[in-house]
Amino acid sequence: MNNINIAETNQNSKKSRITKAANYDSVIKTKQLTKKYGDQRVVNSVNLHVKKGRIYGLLGRNGAGKTTIMKMILGLTPITSGQVDVFGQNIKGHEKSIYPHIGAIIETPGFYPNLTGTENLEIFAKLRELNSPNAVKNALEVVGLPYKDKKLFSKYSLGMKQRLGIANAILHNPELLILDEPTNGLDPIGIAEMRDFIKNLSVLHEKTILISSHILSEISLLADDIGILHRGVLLEESSMSELERKNSKYILMQVSDVQKAALILAKQFNIKNYALKDNHTLHIYDTALDVGEINKALVTQNITVFSSGLCEDTLEDYFKKITGGKGIA
Amino acid sequence: MQLLLWAELQKIRRSNIVWITIFAAILIAAIVFTGGLDMYKGPDVHYGLKTVYDGSRYIDNAGWYMDEVQPWATFFILPAVIALMGSYIICREEDDDTLKSLRLIPINEAKLTAAKMILTFAFSIFLYLLLFAVTFLAEAVLHFNSLSAELVLSALKEYFLDGVGVFFAVSPIIAFVPRMKKGYWPALVFTEIYSVAGLFAGMSDVLKQFYPITAVFNLSGYHLTSAGKIMMSMIILLLCGCLSLFLLKDLKHSKKM
Repeated sequence: MNNINIAETNQNSKKSRITKAANYDSVIKTKQLTKKYGDQRVVNSVNLHVKKGRIYGLLGRNGAGKTTIMKMILGLTPITSGQVDVFGQNIKGHEKSIYPHIGAIIETPGFYPNLTGTENLEIFAKLRELNSPNAVKNALEVVGLPYKDKKLFSKYSLGMKQRLGIANAILHNPELLILDEPTNGLDPIGIAEMRDFIKNLSVLHEKTILISSHILSEISLLADDIGILHRGVLLEESSMSELERKNSKYILMQVSDVQKAALILAKQFNIKNYALKDNHTLHIYDTALDVGEINKALVTQNITVFSSGLCEDTLEDYFKKITGGKGIA
Repeated sequence: MQLLLWAELQKIRRSNIVWITIFAAILIAAIVFTGGLDMYKGPDVHYGLKTVYDGSRYIDNAGWYMDEVQPWATFFILPAVIALMGSYIICREEDDDTLKSLRLIPINEAKLTAAKMILTFAFSIFLYLLLFAVTFLAEAVLHFNSLSAELVLSALKEYFLDGVGVFFAVSPIIAFVPRMKKGYWPALVFTEIYSVAGLFAGMSDVLKQFYPITAVFNLSGYHLTSAGKIMMSMIILLLCGCLSLFLLKDLKHSKKM
């Protein structure tokens, strides 16, 4: 994807008015957000905080409630209970002033199949009353799609449709982007390009981005803040750096006799904080210890050391731990 | 509203349904033309500005073709394709999943639906005027000298009002079907039944004022009738328009979200 050069719009003056007027600490803030379909709670008392200029990754397995939360934030689906504030205002009743500040892709992007990508965007640009004659061209350039191409939307690949969706979302240069699984259908190179593009939007253009995904690596590479959603419940919300700090570090030892090794460690190094994972694996949580010294002590006592080293729990390990499940993609 | 109308017009570019409707209009003109090649045997018939003479081909009588295409098109083809077109442009926002993008602009959905109905209304008139153009051209080629300005203008007025009336007559169906997924195909079927039923309604002097499809002919002047009956037919067609407004007001796109 190309460098970002999104057209300025006539809505900028309106935008500055609303953002200056509103007093808020989070661009998106939900309070006890709940959605029920019949008796089933698909979103349960979610308190989400998306801070200005940051990328918030909403991570959860398929069916966790990510899309429903995004739809409720955007006012596209009614809220059962709770509240959503966007730019410090309740979105309900303020759609006209808030929507011009938001660009969004929810699920698969929908466009008119009988029109080309350019024709589709021209309709949305006109309806948004964008003054810049190059708004469509620039948005297409940003996502790497050709301008005035004759290919109809119905002939687009899933990746191209996704790119066109992004182009439509950034067409009016919004301050907030809500992207529901934007890398769906993209090939690995496309995913990497999209990641760089989203990162650039946040870093260079100070956009606030809420992105959802069920792909853990994608979120861990992109997000500044993360929300872990499981069965409609937001289990964890923290910054990635905080999460990294929380993730336990340990010395991993693979030895021939784990019981004997544990006794030696307790006796010689006074280690109490350790865990026997299986017959040959030991985790020592006191990471200040010298791994070389431990190796030496074990070898002296005729214990074979297959491997040893400092390890850290991955985000996936953490996800497994807090969801009590099988992990994620 | 102007912007929404422009957008609606853009959205139907290259649309197959538009070509289907135009093809259908030309097809009915061709069918009637073929039928008009038969010889008329019987006493001369005078009605309005037109006459059909004994021993002549129907098509050779000035005004016959412009006249005859109207009921054929109205009972068999055009209401159905107009309903198809109208319901297609209303249903497509849900079907193409563009409604969420439009809502985020935000677009006033009532105005959006109004723009779609206005476009359908214009399209209904366009189709009848297209038929008029086809029939007039055929008549001009066959017997230009026999055509009077009065006859042509009267036919033009009838076609124009047919377009207006048919839109009102089918508007409740257009307004009703968006409740169904891909509702435009059921709209085609419902309207075909509804318009063909007009043939039977037309057999009764009373019913033909009240049945919306036949009421169109009273409005347009195709049926030579009294001012009272014309008024009654206008009221019926306006009631159809009111019913469609009521149905559209009740239409909640968000049900599917």
